[in-house]
Amino acid sequence: MASDSKEDNVLYLMVVGLFGWLVPGGGHLIIGKNKHAIIIFVTIVLTFGIGLYIGSVGVINYVNAKPWFLAQLMNSPAVIALAQISKTGGYSVYARPSEIGQIYTSVAGLLNLLCIVNAVYWAHLRRIKTVGD
Amino acid sequence: MSIADAFFMASFTVPEIIHVDPKSTLWLLPLVASISIVYKTTKIPNIKALSFLKEVVILFGSIVVFMAVSAIALCVLAWLITE
Repeated sequence: MASDSKEDNVLYLMVVGLFGWLVPGGGHLIIGKNKHAIIIFVTIVLTFGIGLYIGSVGVINYVNAKPWFLAQLMNSPAVIALAQISKTGGYSVYARPSEIGQIYTSVAGLLNLLCIVNAVYWAHLRRIKTVGD
Repeated sequence: MSIADAFFMASFTVPEIIHVDPKSTLWLLPLVASISIVYKTTKIPNIKALSFLKEVVILFGSIVVFMAVSAIALCVLAWLITE
């Protein structure tokens, strides 16, 4: 019984984390923190969008900029589709726009990672509280 | 797809022209703003507009001031080494 409850808890936390990755703010939405979810969604999508606008879709490059791509991937799985578009389209970007674009898109991804961890942590705290009651 | 949509999509396929000059460091500010907003969102359990805004502005200011001080210190250090 206790084992089932523990497994349920782990599954719930994984779902929260997964939703947080699928859509920025999704994890917070699941745990009922709607204001947090909206703020996170708008901020991260805007930051990522600004990065793409400055550097073009060419800043998502999993061949020549793997470390940056790993950080960008934290935004959403949709980044994989953008990477495919970038690879097949031959969008080249150099110098300052490339740097700024990569920094914006990667920082957006790392901020989303922070939000995913935060949503999972709050979900865990809530579960502990519920079980305690 | 309308012309407006096509124009919007096209703006994401061509990089902006940004020169390497002191003005380009201003691109730091929107990034610091988003870092401040997201960080404070994860720290405050119950968001109230005014207190949240105050916290975000304080963090934003702290980061900008710290970076400006660091930049000045590095400039002075570079000047001392090269002079």
